[in-house]
This record gives sequence, C-alpha cells and structure tokens, in this order.
Amino acid sequence: MNNVVIGRYLPGNGVLHRMDPRTKLLGLVFLLASVFLIDRFFHMLLALGLIIVLLLVSRISPKRVYLGMRPILFLLLFTFIFQIAFNEEGDLLWSLPLNWSLSSLAAVVAIVFLWGFTRRYVRFSLLYFLLGAAAVLTALANLDYGYTLTTGTLEVYEDGLQSAFFIMFRLIVIVAISTMVTMSTKPTDLNLGLEYILKPFKILRVNTEEIAMIIAISLRYIPTLLDEANKIMLAQASRGVDFKEGRLKEKVTQIVSLLVPMFIISFQRSDDLANAMEARSFVPGAPRTKLHVLIWRRLDYVALVVIFALFLASLGARLV
Amino acid sequence: MAYIEIENLSFAYDNKTTALQDVSLSVEQGEWVSILGHNGSGKSTLSKLLVGLLRPKSGSIRVDGFELSEDTLADIRRRIGIVFQNPDNQFVGVTVRDDIAFGLENLCIPREEMIERIEEYSKKVDMFDYLNKEPQQLSGGQKQRVAIAGVLAMRTDVILFDEATSMLDPEGRSRLLQDMKRLNEEGGTIITITHDMRDAVHSDRIVLLKNGGVLADDSARNILGDKELLEQASLELLLPLELMHTLQAEGLGDDTLREYLWQLSLNG
Ligand SMILES: Nc1ncnc2c1ncn2[C@@H]1O[C@H](COP(=O)(O)OP(=O)(O)OP(=O)(O)O)[C@@H](O)[C@H]1O
Ligand SMILES: [Mg+2]
Repeated sequence: MNNVVIGRYLPGNGVLHRMDPRTKLLGLVFLLASVFLIDRFFHMLLALGLIIVLLLVSRISPKRVYLGMRPILFLLLFTFIFQIAFNEEGDLLWSLPLNWSLSSLAAVVAIVFLWGFTRRYVRFSLLYFLLGAAAVLTALANLDYGYTLTTGTLEVYEDGLQSAFFIMFRLIVIVAISTMVTMSTKPTDLNLGLEYILKPFKILRVNTEEIAMIIAISLRYIPTLLDEANKIMLAQASRGVDFKEGRLKEKVTQIVSLLVPMFIISFQRSDDLANAMEARSFVPGAPRTKLHVLIWRRLDYVALVVIFALFLASLGARLV
Repeated sequence: MAYIEIENLSFAYDNKTTALQDVSLSVEQGEWVSILGHNGSGKSTLSKLLVGLLRPKSGSIRVDGFELSEDTLADIRRRIGIVFQNPDNQFVGVTVRDDIAFGLENLCIPREEMIERIEEYSKKVDMFDYLNKEPQQLSGGQKQRVAIAGVLAMRTDVILFDEATSMLDPEGRSRLLQDMKRLNEEGGTIITITHDMRDAVHSDRIVLLKNGGVLADDSARNILGDKELLEQASLELLLPLELMHTLQAEGLGDDTLREYLWQLSLNG
C-alpha cells in the first residue's frame, strides 16, 4: 500500500535533505510564484535548467521525480497537443495534409487497437505512445484510397509550438519542485515547518499548534489504519466477499463491509488515544515544550537569498 | 496515611447499571498491588477514575495527599502513569523517540533534559537502539516497553498497568512482567490490573473485584490459595495451586510440597 504515496520521503543526505523545512516551504511558495510570473520562453528554459541542476545537486533520484510526474502525463500531452493544433499565430513551420478517407480511418482504428493491446508489454510507455501517434499521423497523411470524407491540414505554427513547450515546461517545473520538497522532507518535519510558518495566523485566532498536532496524529495513524483496512479486507474475503469482481451493487456492499468495521474500530481507537494522551498530562491548548526545534543554518540563509533573488528577477522580468 | 487512598468510590456509566459500588482501598509507596477481577468487574473503570478520565459519582480519591478534583488533576496525573492494554492505541508519536517525548513535552520539560531522559529511559527498557523506529516496525511487546519508557521518563511515583500484557505473545508477556518486577525492586509503586492470575502472583497484595465491588483485599498468597474465594470471583485457579488443593483434599502432601507448588505457580 505504501507505493500509492506519490513523492514519499526517501532518506538521503543531499543539499535539500539538509535544508530546514521552513526554508523549503518558503522556497516552494516563492519559486512557484516565480514560475507563474515568468512569461518568456527563454526564461522558462532557464528555470527548467535550474531545476535540473538542483535535481542533480540534491542527489534525489530523477527516476523518482519522473514517477511523481506520471499522474499528470496525460494532462501534459493534452495541453501540448491542444496548443500545437489550435494556436495559429506566428510563422507557419510545418504542415501536413490529412486525408480522412475510409482506408486511413481503418488504419487509424487498427493502429489504436494494436497500441491498446500491446502497450502493457512495452516498458517505455511514453515513447510507445509517441510512436503510436506518429503512426496515426503517417496513416492519415498517406492513405487516400477509398471514399474520402474530407481533407484537412495539420499546421504547426511557431507560436503554437513555443507555447506548447512553454506550458509543458511550466507544469514539469511545478511538479518537480513540489515532488523534490516532499521527497527530501519527512512528513513530520514538513508539519513542524508548516507550524512555524503559519504562526503569523495566530493573530486571526487560528490555533496553529493544535492543527499541527492533528496533522501529526493523522500521520501517525494513517499506516495503522491502512494496515487495519488490509486485515478487514482479508477477513471479509475469507467470508466470501470478493473485492476484485462484481457489479456496481455488489461493489457498494463490499465497500460497506469494509467501511463499517473501519468506522467502529477508528472510533474505539480515537477514544483510547484521547485517554492515553490525557493520562500523559496532555491538555489541549496548554503550553508545551518541543523535542524538535528548527534551526536556521548558513545553508538556509544562502538558499533563501538565492530564492528571493530569483523571485525578484522574475518579477522584474515580468514588469519590464 | 497511605500514598493512594480510595474511599467509598462509586461510579455508573448510565442510570441502570453501576460499574463500581462503594470501593475502598489503599496503596502504600513502594508496594506492588494487583487488582484482579473477571471481565466487566470494573477494573478499567477504576483505573480511569484514578487519573480523572472519569468523574466519580460519589466517594473520594486521594493521591499523595491531594484530593482528586478539577484543580488537582494535573498534580495527580504527574504522579500516576498508566500503560494501557492496546499497544497501538497509546502510541502517540511518529517514532519511538517522539512517543517518549510526548509526555515530557506536556510537562514542559526543557529540551536538553528531555533528550537526556529519553536516552536514560529508552536504555532502561532496552529500546535505545529503536529510537528512530516507527510503531509499524515494532512488536506489541516493544510498543508496550516504549509506553513504559514514556511513563518512566515522566518520573511518576506510581505506574498502573491496565491489562498491559493481555495483547502480547508469551515472550512479550514474560518480558513485561520481568520489567514490572525490576521496577518494583527499584522502589517503584506498581498497580497491575488484570483478569489473568499469572500476572498477579508476583504482587505483594491482591484486591479482588467482583461486579464493581471489593470482594477481598489480602496478600497474594492468601488470595491465590483460597479456592472458594476465587471461584466466588468467577476466576480459575492456577494449575499448580489447583493441584495443591486436590492433594490437600485427599490428605496428601506436606508443607515442602505445598511450598514447591507455590514456587511453581510463581514461575508459571
Ligand atoms: N463506555 C462505557 N459505557 C457504558 N458502559 C460501560 C462503558 N465501559 C464499561 N462499561 C461497563 O462497565 C462495567 C465495567 O467495565 P470495565 O471496563 O471497568 O470492566 P473491566 O473489569 O475492565 O473488564 P475487562 O476485563 O473486560 O477489561 C461493565 O459492565 C461494562 O459493560
Ligand atoms: Mg478493562
């Protein structure tokens, strides 16, 4: 069940790992703002370069970051294709006549089927997708036998191509920064950093310490509850509930058979936990000391100065 | 005056049934007292009343001279620590270190001292090498030992174990019993709450509960040797003691054999 968690913390000793969680959180906010401020292609290319440098310096496995990006691959492709197909500004770079004929449509259907059936056996799914797309385009461009419904042209314009890459890079940078932060920071440290950073909100009577405590306890009990869900599923399966198969109505029954015991056990647990916490002198809202304290180091000052400079630079570039 | 004095304590969860009825008992400093009773006899209710997790219907509780009330609650909780039954449901921290620290943070212990105490008491329960481990990586017995370290680190005068061994495997259980014995020998006051007689044999004194009332309050040897009393409390005899009674009824055996069987039940 652990592999569900995207961008899960991985121990390490790189620059990012050694950085204070507050630095990383503030850095994340300012860098994301910078990425949204940038509006020139060249600057975005620079940002991408910087992220790649950071990735290499921080010794976080690029493969892991890529895995973190996989859920948005579809979004990336969609915006990319959308931009190329519909943005018609700038110089015409390339055009491809498309024949929507019976033969080409049949070929497209065949290619899509073939791709759909074989893709699970191919390791590089993204490359395989591009190969499939190329095959579809080739078929549309060259096959004009049979009754032709209509013809069109696929035209790629300079601005379309550029903004396609621009948006793709922006998404990649955003996801890469966030993934790198969560992968280099323990959830507990992230929580601690969040508590410090949210401190100013105390003026608005938000009890940041209590929020942090709630998050900490949730972090503590998520694995336990997942474990429990697993056990209940096994217990129900041994009584004949099949969690893999079934129509909608059966699915609902299965989920209920999981949720009801989960709820009862969770309530029992939280009751016990509240007792245990109180018995150990916990009083909500009372002052406490802390085992973990965060210390700003030189690395953090340097990082914050660099990040702030980058932010100002992108703000300047936008305003000029 | 004894360290803990409970007088005429009564409690009910609802209007129909009373969970505790007129319970009086006392615990001296340095004593090891077992509270023994069948399921539903009110043992856990008693332990929750003792640290103010429940409010008594009538009667009084005094700990170290403090009468339990809203104002003295914090003082009393500083003096009594509880290790509960379910190892998972009392593990507050994300790691062993955080869990031991939890109580210390609540007591506003300065950070440097916290670090010292965590080291000292994790070593004491043999969990020093596990300080960075998460609860999923620990056995039930190890989690209970972390709970003990958490209580010890708070330096309470009394440690109360509420069926703390009941969810452990035999090895974890005997290890925990050894720890209790050692803590008691070092001068700690120990209260074990249990329905398992094997957990009660080592204590100095046993308070026998039945249906929310005190049935008997005597030395461990007197209570565990009293067949009628235990049957009355819906509890079973330990096997060596059962044997002793059978031999006695048949007019067999002498004092040495009786002594031997008693020692056997202590080791069981
Ligand atoms: N939260 C509650 N609400 C209502 N009744 C309760 C509650 N907790 C316990 N009781 C009842 O109070 C009585 C005493 O319960 P208690 O938990 O103190 O028993 P126990 O001796 O600890 O039993 P066990 O050996 O099962 O832990 C029982 O009859 C029980 O059903
Ligand atoms: Mg109980």
